[in-house]
Amino acid sequence: MNRPTASKTCLDSAIAPNLRLIMKNDPPDADAGAVILAGGKSSRMGRPKALLPFDGEPLIAHLVRKLESIFPEIVVVAAPEQELPTLPVKIARDDVAYQGPVSGIYHGLQTSTKENCFVTSCDAPFLNLTFVSHLLAQICDVDVVVPFWEERFQPLHAVYRTQVAPLLKDQLERGELRPIFLFDKVRTRKVEEDEIRRFDPEGMSMLNMNSPEEYEAALRLWRAKNSIPVCVELFGVPRMLAKTKSVTLELAAGATLAQVLSALAEKLPMLAGRVIGASGLISGYTCNINGLDFVRTPNAKIKSGDKIFILSADAGG
Amino acid sequence: MHGFHGRLLHIDLSSGHSHWRDIEETRLRRFLGGIGLGASLLYDYAPAGVDPLAPDNPLIFASAPLVGTGLTTTAKFAVVTKSPLTGFIADSLSSSYFALELKRLGIDALIVTGQATDWTYLFIHDGKVEFHSAGQLRGKSPLECESLIRAELNRSSARIAAIGKAGENQVRFATISNEGRHAGRGGVGAVMGAKHLKAMALCGDRPAVVADPAGVASIAATLRARSLGSLTDKYRSIGTVANLSVFNRLGVLPTRNFQQSTFDEAESLSGETLTENNFSRRNGCAACTIRCERLFKALDGGEQRLEYETLFALGPLCGIHEPDVVLRAARLCDHYGLDTISAGGTLAWAMECGEKGLLPEAQKLGLRFGESEGILAAIEAIAERAGIGDLLAEGSRRAASAIGGESMRWAMHVKGLELPGYEPRSLKTMALGLAVSPRGACHNRSGAYEADFSGQVDRFTADAGRGALVRDSEDFAAVLDSLIVCKFLRKCFDDFYGEAAELLSKVTGWDYSSEELKRAGERIHNLKKLFNQREGWRKEDDWLPERLLSETLSTGVGAGVGLTTAELRGMIQSYYRARGWDNRGWVPQAKLNELGLTTVPSSEFRVSG
Repeated sequence: MNRPTASKTCLDSAIAPNLRLIMKNDPPDADAGAVILAGGKSSRMGRPKALLPFDGEPLIAHLVRKLESIFPEIVVVAAPEQELPTLPVKIARDDVAYQGPVSGIYHGLQTSTKENCFVTSCDAPFLNLTFVSHLLAQICDVDVVVPFWEERFQPLHAVYRTQVAPLLKDQLERGELRPIFLFDKVRTRKVEEDEIRRFDPEGMSMLNMNSPEEYEAALRLWRAKNSIPVCVELFGVPRMLAKTKSVTLELAAGATLAQVLSALAEKLPMLAGRVIGASGLISGYTCNINGLDFVRTPNAKIKSGDKIFILSADAGG
Repeated sequence: MHGFHGRLLHIDLSSGHSHWRDIEETRLRRFLGGIGLGASLLYDYAPAGVDPLAPDNPLIFASAPLVGTGLTTTAKFAVVTKSPLTGFIADSLSSSYFALELKRLGIDALIVTGQATDWTYLFIHDGKVEFHSAGQLRGKSPLECESLIRAELNRSSARIAAIGKAGENQVRFATISNEGRHAGRGGVGAVMGAKHLKAMALCGDRPAVVADPAGVASIAATLRARSLGSLTDKYRSIGTVANLSVFNRLGVLPTRNFQQSTFDEAESLSGETLTENNFSRRNGCAACTIRCERLFKALDGGEQRLEYETLFALGPLCGIHEPDVVLRAARLCDHYGLDTISAGGTLAWAMECGEKGLLPEAQKLGLRFGESEGILAAIEAIAERAGIGDLLAEGSRRAASAIGGESMRWAMHVKGLELPGYEPRSLKTMALGLAVSPRGACHNRSGAYEADFSGQVDRFTADAGRGALVRDSEDFAAVLDSLIVCKFLRKCFDDFYGEAAELLSKVTGWDYSSEELKRAGERIHNLKKLFNQREGWRKEDDWLPERLLSETLSTGVGAGVGLTTAELRGMIQSYYRARGWDNRGWVPQAKLNELGLTTVPSSEFRVSG
């Protein structure tokens, strides 16, 4: 195998990335799978990273949910005896715990039935599927496609041909525990920063979390990037109780009316019990969205910028 | 007989004679009481084509089976007559102690016909009818009349209904008032004034007896508990004035004579703001647990009752945003005995005429949108029938006909009755309800807006499903208004017809089913329509003011929304179909037979069995 041909492209990279649409359940390459490395020590984090709560679910589940929209097969590589939530994935176990990423990549590629695999760590919540698809599209006549970001290769955000697995095993035996040693041995496509920025201007895809502080920062960033502002306007009794006409709530994208009401009751506890009950609005109250639609269904979807009116259900005068 | 007395009292003011008569049991069973009983008596007692202000037009005070049973919100009575404003049926409700006393007279209805030679008030007590001179009461407000009459009769327990100066002067939207409440719509006060009847004082001693006291008490306790729950929170906590801010936000607040559906200064008049800044006290009708009534403080220290309709009509509709001006205007209306909705609607019409150069006298009086002195002066002028007030006392339809030009386009009435505070263009079911209502533009004889405000329909669009919705709403209202139960209790029933039938059975001892009650509602509504047909109703009377059909909304969430003649025509046809009427809107013989409304050979319908 030869040295990378960094500039060689399989897909015309001049095509604007936003012209390539990634459709749910429409894998960019049916022969591609994903590998998530979840068996790290998490020593600085102090608790297993795979199980960190993220967007209302364990981080590993968050990643699986995201990747399954484009990969028909996902392999999670875990340490022996490591606890994981129930996931729609194949589980591969390291023979020996905490041997590092080379071992994880090796076991993931060995377990995968696919020709190529996108490999990531379980602590990268900001994966950009458009960028991942772009990386996959580059693998056609190389063995590894790896981004080069902030002066470093990113082997845990790269695409590997599964055929390279024996080379990784050899590395392990030689004690070469850094994945980049592989890149000199196989055809490697180095994806430069300029190219990365076209898809992911801030390189968020490669952001991972190693400490509680980084985890908190990631959570804040996630909320900022994924929350939607919703303005709740209060009329009549709710307004009198809350002593305010309106409040703005930050909610997760895709929030429902039930979540709006729950957040509202948390922010304005005086409404709980009188206007908002355990299962939504109390009888006698209703909700209108943007002055247009009267809605009481708890699972009604709320969009960014929606104005939610909480008012009496009785318009008699 | 239980729940009813089975008797009526007919007083003829021309002859000074009184007659106590039996009421047929079938009539009570089929028309219940209140609006239904009143309508059936009107049909029989009013000569066809009678002039509403003529002596022969009967003024009917109808009680109802639930009155006096202790059931919350049922201390109500109906006033039914031929309206001097519309020429069709006027059926107004009022409430409180006068209602209880009317029932305690031992009658289900009081019918007044004729015309007294001199101003008179009646004192009815102990089975007797006394005629008293009312010369000293001339020009007095209804509340002043109450205290003067009690003092004169030395009967502090007397319950009194009276007219103010507007009624004396036969202003076509004058009210009959009792204890600060009003039979407001349709000009019933003008009919009373035309009879030279200033007031009626009642002292009863014959309460009705219910068939199953324990059963009624049990239901009463349940309803009382429900009436204090979240379903009535709005009425108990803020009152109907709570509507204003939310109506404004929903773009359904008629403003500046329906030129806008939002009011920039709505916040200053909102129920929430009034409650914070002007609240004086909460009040309620007799035997009511909801107690929706709110009195607010004016700057001069006086207090004034305000409801949403008064607030809207004397506020945004006239471009007025100062709470104190609205409170003073409302106080004047109450003092003179004027329907605030029709007063506001007629004044707003005049303001627009003034702006467009069609009514220089309005400008001279300072009658301009947003100007406080003009509106206060004009209310006085209407009650006095002074200057331009004489024209405005006729209501917007007649006033527009008198001055002509384009002013009919913005005379906002249906059948002569001014529109309430619900914008029809962005409440399409309500638009239909207003267009077809027998008493004219009315928000009480059907709650058609409820479909629009519930998400049951798209309120911005029209479709053929609205006819059935309006029909059901009208029949429901007819039953509520005939039992009588306040509409603010309506949502406290899980299964209204079933529960109301059970209740009525326990009150009367007659075995009502929910189907029979539902059918009674339909019968009552059809009867009102029959009365209108007899009095000259034409299909074009079921229509809306031209402004609503030619101008789209310019403000608020409904901006750009309009109502076309085709949409309205389609909805009206759907309503006629749903009613089982012919496509001209007439009640066919088959429907009359179905409802037991039989005809006599002269082809005049008679309602009594």
